[in-house]
Amino acid sequence: MSTPTQTQSETRTKPEGKIARVRRLWNDHLPIWFIAPMATVMVLITFFPGAYDLYLSLIKEPTLNVFAADFVGLSNFSTAFSRGGALHSLIITITVVVSALILESVLGFVLAALVAGVGSGRVKSFYRVLFIIPMAVAPVSLATIGRIMLNSEVGIIPYVINSATPFTAPAFLSKMPLLTVILMDTWNWTPFMFIIFYAGLSSVPDTLVEASRVDGAPLWRRYVHVIIPYMKPVVFVATLIRMIDLFRTFGVVYGLTQGGPGTATQLVSINIYEQMFVNNQVTVAAAIAVVYLIMVVALCNIVIAKVGFDGVWD
Amino acid sequence: MNGKHNRRTFLTATSAGLLTSIAGCTRGGTGSDDSANTDSKSDGGADIPLKKYQQADIDWKQFEDSKINIGAVQHPWVDAIKPAVPIFEKLTGIDVVWNILPENQFRTKRQTDASTGAGQFDVFFMDQVVNQYRHEGWLQPLDPYFDDSSLYDESWYHPGDMFDASKWQAHGGGYSDKWTGLPITVEVQTQFYRTDLYEKHGLTVAETLDQFRQNAKTIHEAESDIAGTVGRGQKGYGMNIYILNTFLREFGTSLWTDFPNNSGLDTDGTIDAAKWYVNLLKDYGPQDASTQTWSDVLTTMQEGRAGHIVADANLFWPDLTGSDSKVGDKIGIAKAPKPADGQFSPNAYNWQISTSKNAKNSKQGFLFMLWATSKPTNTWMHLNNDAAFSVRQSVWKNDEFRSRVGEDFAQITLDSLKAAKPDPFDRKYPQWGQQYSEELQRAIAGQKSAEAAMKKAATVAENIYSG
Repeated sequence: MSTPTQTQSETRTKPEGKIARVRRLWNDHLPIWFIAPMATVMVLITFFPGAYDLYLSLIKEPTLNVFAADFVGLSNFSTAFSRGGALHSLIITITVVVSALILESVLGFVLAALVAGVGSGRVKSFYRVLFIIPMAVAPVSLATIGRIMLNSEVGIIPYVINSATPFTAPAFLSKMPLLTVILMDTWNWTPFMFIIFYAGLSSVPDTLVEASRVDGAPLWRRYVHVIIPYMKPVVFVATLIRMIDLFRTFGVVYGLTQGGPGTATQLVSINIYEQMFVNNQVTVAAAIAVVYLIMVVALCNIVIAKVGFDGVWD
Repeated sequence: MNGKHNRRTFLTATSAGLLTSIAGCTRGGTGSDDSANTDSKSDGGADIPLKKYQQADIDWKQFEDSKINIGAVQHPWVDAIKPAVPIFEKLTGIDVVWNILPENQFRTKRQTDASTGAGQFDVFFMDQVVNQYRHEGWLQPLDPYFDDSSLYDESWYHPGDMFDASKWQAHGGGYSDKWTGLPITVEVQTQFYRTDLYEKHGLTVAETLDQFRQNAKTIHEAESDIAGTVGRGQKGYGMNIYILNTFLREFGTSLWTDFPNNSGLDTDGTIDAAKWYVNLLKDYGPQDASTQTWSDVLTTMQEGRAGHIVADANLFWPDLTGSDSKVGDKIGIAKAPKPADGQFSPNAYNWQISTSKNAKNSKQGFLFMLWATSKPTNTWMHLNNDAAFSVRQSVWKNDEFRSRVGEDFAQITLDSLKAAKPDPFDRKYPQWGQQYSEELQRAIAGQKSAEAAMKKAATVAENIYSG
């Protein structure tokens, strides 16, 4: 039996060492420590640039000294839409995104279906390589080559049209600039859709296709009722990725037209670039970027929520 | 040390560190395109006697063993002067470090350097944003250095030898009475024409705008695969409006007839000039005239696909008459045309070098600017290193230089530079200039009339200043 004095000394908490304290801190908050590195990375690459962009959009002149900044409310947003052409560039961007997405998806699927239907492995391989080539061209190179090829005086495309057809070549970049940039983007990125759709087609079980054939379904019915429904997740993911990428389009269009003539092909990305680096309107550029960021994120979430989970990801 | 000072020091140091780490740095001396971003010590390629500089009453050695950072774009001026830089290093004991970048990247880096107060560049290239930088307080006027007898000797430097247009533009194009930098290159607009086509169709070189248009019409109609004329239609303040500004002055008006209330863009003179330029390109230019950049029009002329052009003499002449051109021996040069009752005043453009408020070695930088633009260095660059953009009249009058570049080219350029009226770049020129050029491009593309385009451009420009 111990004396009262002994009991007190035994139950008194011993002074905790540094290592023990760190260990306890580590053990008590284990999930936080595992999440922390990723959270830090996310803050650095996502939250900080976004917050800084928002800060720039709310001040009069760019300054790194936050405490000396002159906050002007929504004035830059107002300027962006009244003088900065924000609405016009949004409309142009949506036109390009929708048109190119439809064209690239349809063409990519058709090409994939055609190549998938080829019997010879060597021929298949040849087409796969052939169709992938345009995607390997860097946007700036593509724009430079495109400008030369489409030049009405020294370009090969107008030359071929003029000399080999009864038609006169149009002035691609000045009379039909929007269509030209959409077609150029389609040429550049249809291979991306082709690759994914081709992989999707390859994953459709032969038994399904064979069964529908035995049932007497013609080719188009096999595609509409068997193959495409089976490929729904692939189609959705491919178009979602491509849609997000199209919203970021810059290099090819800027290289081809610089957003012109006038502002006929001025995508939001080009508008932001010009406000920032040509007009030196950093705060207006930031305001457009904020609106654009919110719009694209919202749109993508709507697409994922309304389309993505409807029989695709559920 | 208080917190504010800590923060400022941190930001400055961080910015400077980032700039230094990102910038491609080279040291003084011979460089080529390939070695533009590599560390190559000079080989002392130039042979300018030091005594040509030592004659000056300037204490060249006062900053011995120091170093200057120069921010520059990839430009022929850099290629032309680099072999001579060891002379400067030997003369002053100042080490020269180059930071050479493509133009757009350089603009971004320069703005970061100036606006954050990093002060990495002691000397940097300066262009159309000169008055914005001056207005923001980022530029340092050079006048105090000109007043310092240990740094400057007027009788040796001969500032009077510089073209008035170049000096004027270095003073902020009329917006400042102080030196905002020293001009290093100048380009002036002249007329280039195909001598064989002119001979074939019995044309005389145009002195007036009507003759210029008539010559374009003749060639356009007579030659099935050659455009009568070609010109910059692309937007951008170095593009279509750079050419149009020559003509609007010749039509008796100017930009900002009443700064900042009246842009001058909707005056009769501007509208007439715009109509003339737009119709010329629409009627006798290539189909895609509205999208042509300076390099497109150069290519078109080099390929022999156009009858004549108004463009920058110094920029175009070597390429039009060199081995890359299919019509190298068939190019003539003449002054830019003007209206019958107008005044000849071609547009010109100067690059200059400046120093920022936050530069740590501005005095050393000033010595470099002085040395680089001095008569000995300038003459050497033009006689020995293929340069053809001198801001000094003496070079254009130099017999050896004239025999190298051609008598016609030298004389026409000299006459044009003497009459040149460069654009005055006000502090918001980048903003309204871009939209002015967009409106002109719309007119060339046929999207709207020239008159409507210029009126819209006027409204945009004036609104930018009014609110």
